[in-house]
Amino acid sequence: MKKRLYLELENCIGCRSCLAACTQCGGHEERNRNYVYDVNPLVNRQTMPLMCLHCENPACARSCPAQAIQIHETGAVLSALVEKCIGCQNCTIACPYGIPKFDTEQNLMYKCDLCIDRTKDGIPPMCASVCPSNTLQWLTDEEIENKKKQFNLDNGKWVTSMPYLEGETNVKVNLPGILQGITKLY
Amino acid sequence: MQAKAAVNQKTGNTLNNAFASNFAKSMFLSVTALAVLSFIGTRMFTHVDLNLYGYMVGTIVFLGGFFYRFIAWGERPPTKIILKKGLKLLFRKSTPKTSVEHLATYNFIWNRGIYRWTQHVLIGWGCILSCFVTFPLVFGWMYFTMDDNGYYNIIALGMQVMTVPADGIIANLSYNALNITAVMVIVGVCMALYRRLKNMQARAEQKFLYDFLPLYMLLLVSITGLALTFMNIFLHGAGQPAMSLIHQWSVIITLIYLPFGKLAHIPFRPMSVLARNYREHYAEQDMKECKVCGDQFVSSEQSQDVVDVLGVNDIQFKTKEGHHLAEMCLPCRRKYRIAQFSGFPTHEVKVKEANQNAKG
Repeated sequence: MKKRLYLELENCIGCRSCLAACTQCGGHEERNRNYVYDVNPLVNRQTMPLMCLHCENPACARSCPAQAIQIHETGAVLSALVEKCIGCQNCTIACPYGIPKFDTEQNLMYKCDLCIDRTKDGIPPMCASVCPSNTLQWLTDEEIENKKKQFNLDNGKWVTSMPYLEGETNVKVNLPGILQGITKLY
Repeated sequence: MQAKAAVNQKTGNTLNNAFASNFAKSMFLSVTALAVLSFIGTRMFTHVDLNLYGYMVGTIVFLGGFFYRFIAWGERPPTKIILKKGLKLLFRKSTPKTSVEHLATYNFIWNRGIYRWTQHVLIGWGCILSCFVTFPLVFGWMYFTMDDNGYYNIIALGMQVMTVPADGIIANLSYNALNITAVMVIVGVCMALYRRLKNMQARAEQKFLYDFLPLYMLLLVSITGLALTFMNIFLHGAGQPAMSLIHQWSVIITLIYLPFGKLAHIPFRPMSVLARNYREHYAEQDMKECKVCGDQFVSSEQSQDVVDVLGVNDIQFKTKEGHHLAEMCLPCRRKYRIAQFSGFPTHEVKVKEANQNAKG
């Protein structure tokens, strides 16, 4: 059963477990590849995670002159192949979400690969497996559909790619209920 | 779409019109160059080592695959830009230093780990030196003659460049060059195999056909090559003809496979020098300022090139503020996305991004 990473952004409590877990994934060389941002840092404590959304038409891979960014059969957009990446940093400029990180010492780009050694076998990625607040979840399409029904919002503001993202993505994002004046119990 | 039109535009060069395709042109020029060089090098084909004709055929087949793969790759819009602009900047002052660091001493691999650097130097230089010996021998660009006086003449491109004592150091290094490089490759490949078997970071992402197969092929080439020497010296040549065919077969298979697998990074890697020149040159020209915070984060040229390349792929990242997403620096671009999710303009709050490394 194909599962997806699914984000319920407003659940985030800013604990940064996902960052810590990311460092522990095989192949990540103990460096994290995702982000947690304060939404309005001078006013409140709301945070949101930001990770690679694994675009169906990834700008990073399209802009790579070395074909170093490969797309896995599961749809995951992989990190740069170490022997191919030539260090031009086109991908960091192209990514609409600013996700790829670049190591100038190693002349190498690295980005979220959806923990491909885990997810290719149906094991959730590190971030989703540690998230204590259900911000990051690993769900089947059916389960995502059920979530959508559960909240019963027919205003098109629920699960989204467009128009809040730049294109269709393999990771699904749930827009915050906070904005819609909905208190969520989970 | 401008870039799309430019890609299809043929240059008015009349020489190109003589050929059906880029592939045909490259193949014709290479085979001609090989033939001419061999003609000169072998003193009008009087010193051809016919033992090595298999390698000659193998090399021609390899060239076919090589051009097929690399011309297709060079036609991709982002590749084309870096190749075109990078080649124009080839004569920058920094080119020799960058080339040595990227292609000879592999400084960036040192920064990935000393173990990985050691294995890469051994495999890389083992293979490069082997090629420097093998190809000149195959095409007759280099051969040896011996006068009656115990001296060896080293002949390069038909010219006698050196006369050395037949039992001297240089002569011995020449006889054993391929044995030495074989040992280098074997040690390097064993280190690489050990790492791929034991290192959990490497194990997570490796695939047998992509990561192991090239190593086994290099190992096969080196071991069969060393076996030839072993058979000559210790077995008085027993089994040598069979082994020589096995060795030849392994080399030719590896050569033909080279442009299509992990080893493709060997002929392709000089591109990193072009990319570095491209970044350095245009960074000196004019830097792009982030549309939100004003930080200079990339050269204007590269920013525009990426926007164009994405345009060719029908990807337009226009923001409602009117600029392209590529015109924002990375932290601002991330905050901008948070702003799209939350409705609050996070990117306009002048606060540095919070802790992103989860180390306390």
